[in-house]
Amino acid sequence: MDYAHWLLPEGIDEFLPPRSLLLEQQRRRMLDLFDSWGYELIIPPMMEYLESLTSGVGQDLAPQMFKLMDQLSGRQLGIRTDITPQAARVDAHQLRKEQPTRLCYLGEVMRTLPNGLGGSRSQIQLGAELFGHSGIESDFEILSLMMAAIGCTGVQDIYLDLGHVGIYRTLIQDADLDGPLESRIFSAMQRKDLPWLQSQMDDGTLDACTGARLIALAQLNGEAAETLALAHEQLGDSQRVKSALAELQQTAEWVGQHFPDTPLYMDLAELRGYRYQTGLVFAAFIETEGHEIARGGRYDAIGETFGRARPATGFSADLLKLMALAHQSETASKPRVAAPWQFSARLHEKKASLRKQGYQVINMLPGQQADAQAMGCQHELIEQSGEWVLHELPPNA
Amino acid sequence: MSKQANKIRIALSKGRIFKETLPLLAAVGIEPDDDPETSRKLILGTNQPDVDLVVIRATDVPTYVGHGAADVGVAGKDVLLEHGSEGLYEPLDLRIAQCRMMVAGFPNASMEGQRLRIATKYINSARRHFAAQGKQVEIIKLYGSMELAPIVGLSDLIVDLVESGNTLKANGLEPIEHIMDISSRLIVNKAAWKMKHARIKALLEGVRAAVESKNNE
Repeated sequence: MDYAHWLLPEGIDEFLPPRSLLLEQQRRRMLDLFDSWGYELIIPPMMEYLESLTSGVGQDLAPQMFKLMDQLSGRQLGIRTDITPQAARVDAHQLRKEQPTRLCYLGEVMRTLPNGLGGSRSQIQLGAELFGHSGIESDFEILSLMMAAIGCTGVQDIYLDLGHVGIYRTLIQDADLDGPLESRIFSAMQRKDLPWLQSQMDDGTLDACTGARLIALAQLNGEAAETLALAHEQLGDSQRVKSALAELQQTAEWVGQHFPDTPLYMDLAELRGYRYQTGLVFAAFIETEGHEIARGGRYDAIGETFGRARPATGFSADLLKLMALAHQSETASKPRVAAPWQFSARLHEKKASLRKQGYQVINMLPGQQADAQAMGCQHELIEQSGEWVLHELPPNA
Repeated sequence: MSKQANKIRIALSKGRIFKETLPLLAAVGIEPDDDPETSRKLILGTNQPDVDLVVIRATDVPTYVGHGAADVGVAGKDVLLEHGSEGLYEPLDLRIAQCRMMVAGFPNASMEGQRLRIATKYINSARRHFAAQGKQVEIIKLYGSMELAPIVGLSDLIVDLVESGNTLKANGLEPIEHIMDISSRLIVNKAAWKMKHARIKALLEGVRAAVESKNNE
């Protein structure tokens, strides 16, 4: 077959000017933001032993992991699909602190299957995790940081979606459901597949009480206060459901106070598609995008797989997606100066001083084709009575 | 989600689904301005200024809704199973375009033994069905006229949607195994569900009531 061998694999991106610079500037702003909230940066490796990446938090994305054989150890390596499991490993094994630990990261992740429309298989994942505190206060801190991180990219008019996985888990545990049936219920719940739930009730696979509760749960969504009131009425006989609802109520109040302009929506059947989540979950949406743009929540059980149970909550998002939605096309580019190719101590000094002042200074190489304007320069350096001075060029026609 | 915040865009496919969905939409007060069979327009306006319809191929409906190019859609369960339902909710069975997904073949066709060759448009559903029975089969993807495949020796059996069974009968074939009942679902984009909640919930409940009253007649 005839093909251009230098094409990149499908869904694998690279970043070229001016997008690459925009990305780097955004990355710096994001890390400064995390730093100002006291989140410490970790830079875990691109690949690790498979077991480490796929235990606990990583299991949902395990089928989407690029794998390779390590010739040194004879063991399988995986390329990370998500940095959260790496952060959990770092907290459990490398840092081993008792106090709350705040970690953040920003790096590339790869998946074998294209994700959504346009199908990118690489993302620049950013996120923050807070280990060692089990209350909704830390969930709210992470939610607030997620809002700040989205705001830092310039994306506006965010909608928040709030849920609590504990409610679904309580219903499932009360009914002693597990195995393949539970997996199918989990999947039906994600799709709000009421007809399927009803059919399982009709043929006796689910008993009437459990079926009715699951169907009620699948329909508990909408405006916060209304949804909570309905939930109390329909599922409030369980103490554990009640405490989950109380957590939602409190969080909704805080959201109302801190983000009064952000519409809040509640969906108690939203499981965010992830198995490891245990408590409060949340996601951010904007109007022009059919999918969530950032997501997060509590995942307390994870530490156990690393031999150290630590409560945990965190969020993540794809920086590339956020940047695409923010429509930033302008780089705050520096003014560019053309300098002649010449050995002169004064010229050398002048160039160094201009660079320090924030100019881009490029050398016009002997014999080159393009003139200063064609090289994108707004200024050139010319010698006037022994001094090197900036001379403004007329705009390129 | 369709880009206009206050608009609802509904994706439908031409033919049977369109025809059978119209009365349900009429019950919630939505009527198209044009007939898609005669109009060349791809986006049809309705009597409600904030609702429009896109009329597309049945297999494209989940893609449009899943990615939010349309907020709501009507898609057969066969299509949802085949193409996945990522990014969307399927809360309501409209009980229209009803049929059965069946294994069919010649009356004396053997279901046992050798590696059966199955001609079908529904490769994922067919593979799942035979895999659940522990049968190793070869799937042959065809785009139409499945009934022809066993006659010309292209396959041993077919997996297809069966409504009356007349096409099968006319070609000397008969249904052999019932895979599942199929009908159309109302599907909703996840983000649209959250951000246009009041509007979509009202639409959903109106259509639900229409479906129930129609089926109680």
